[in-house]
Amino acid sequence: MHEVANTPRGKGVLACIQCGRCTSSCPVARVVEEHNPRKLMEMTILGLRSDVLEGQLPWYCLSCFTCLDRCPQGGDVGETMFAIRNLAVKEGNIPEGIFAQAKSLIENGRVVTASKMASINRERYGLGKEPSVDVEAVQKILKKTRFDKLVSKGK
Amino acid sequence: MKYAFFAGCLIPAREPHYENSVRKIAPELGIELVKMEGANCCAPFSIQSLDYLSWLALAARNLSIAEEMGLNIVTLCNDCYESLLMTNTILKKDKEMRDKVNKILADVGLEFKGKTDVKIFSDVLYEDVGLEKVKNAVKRPFNGLRVAVQPGCHLSKPKRLHFGQRMGVLALDELVEATGAISVPYERKEACCGGPLRGINDEVALSVAKQKLDSMKAAGVDSIVTVCPFCYLELDMGQIEIKRHTKNEYNLPVLSFAELLRVAMGMDLEDWELKAHRIPVTKILNMAEAK
Repeated sequence: MHEVANTPRGKGVLACIQCGRCTSSCPVARVVEEHNPRKLMEMTILGLRSDVLEGQLPWYCLSCFTCLDRCPQGGDVGETMFAIRNLAVKEGNIPEGIFAQAKSLIENGRVVTASKMASINRERYGLGKEPSVDVEAVQKILKKTRFDKLVSKGK
Repeated sequence: MKYAFFAGCLIPAREPHYENSVRKIAPELGIELVKMEGANCCAPFSIQSLDYLSWLALAARNLSIAEEMGLNIVTLCNDCYESLLMTNTILKKDKEMRDKVNKILADVGLEFKGKTDVKIFSDVLYEDVGLEKVKNAVKRPFNGLRVAVQPGCHLSKPKRLHFGQRMGVLALDELVEATGAISVPYERKEACCGGPLRGINDEVALSVAKQKLDSMKAAGVDSIVTVCPFCYLELDMGQIEIKRHTKNEYNLPVLSFAELLRVAMGMDLEDWELKAHRIPVTKILNMAEAK
């Protein structure tokens, strides 16, 4: 638990009283039985490290922040999910879709690049090229935060 | 009214028709959008999930570019809005983190000073342009068009970032009604569209979208209007995918608010823009009638 609580977005776990309001307000919990934010908080409190950080559990959250607004304790469940995911990533648990976006960020300075259709339409109808990014600056920043090394654990 | 214009990744790269509508209506309403030279990705959900410091540093770089321009930022995308607004809020308060981020930014010749504000386009229309001026610009109202407003999560969540402000969802409702349309109440209006899980877990993303579409359909609306490019994509493309998997058909055209307003202001969408919508929008756009 302290590993999560000691990260900037993970302090909420200390306030959790296991009331379950997060789960009852979660749009994913309504359709995926395995996703239960209250339970994930409980597992974190109990220190079930590998159960929390490995596998799918950290990656169901949409970060819609409904739970965060509804938590009666200011327990910041949606924020704690970011803390849990940050730790999961350090263990190499990075879903393919996230890995692809990280790779694009390092290469292009943006997570999505223009599709062929969009590029053609932009040029043809006077919008011009998509806004240019100072990729070198992005790469400098990411080198300094060791983002590239972190992501390379994924694949 | 001059703003540093942060269009984000998704809109310029996938929804140029959305951007085009913003560019068409902005000057008519006295809004000048100034390009942010070299701005990078806002660092949305996916990047925030990877690393805290990288998120703050990338977002702070964008904020400091706007500071150097001496302008406030206007974003179009809910995710850019959340990332930039939250970073701005954190770094203005937390000196230790600000110092840490500024050490990184020094390498790229920038410094975060906390001198810019972040707004989303609908709030600029509501607050800075003003509802009356928007109403007066409407030449062809959508009288009686029943709209499900899909605000998108980060327009007003987390609430702590928007405390005490009559903006976000409420403002969007009033703006939609300023075009003559009716914003129809429906169940779980502020719930997520499922979009953030696109590319991570498509099946779950679609199940969440289906919940929304079901409750919109149950409320008997003609169309969906959103400001968020993720909601736009998820609900438009999602309907096609749901039809393929389950044979459920919704036939709810999805428009960005900028497009709705543009047509109400008397400017038609061009052919390529109409074609960008997977669920055809022509029928509902024809409901706009000259006063």
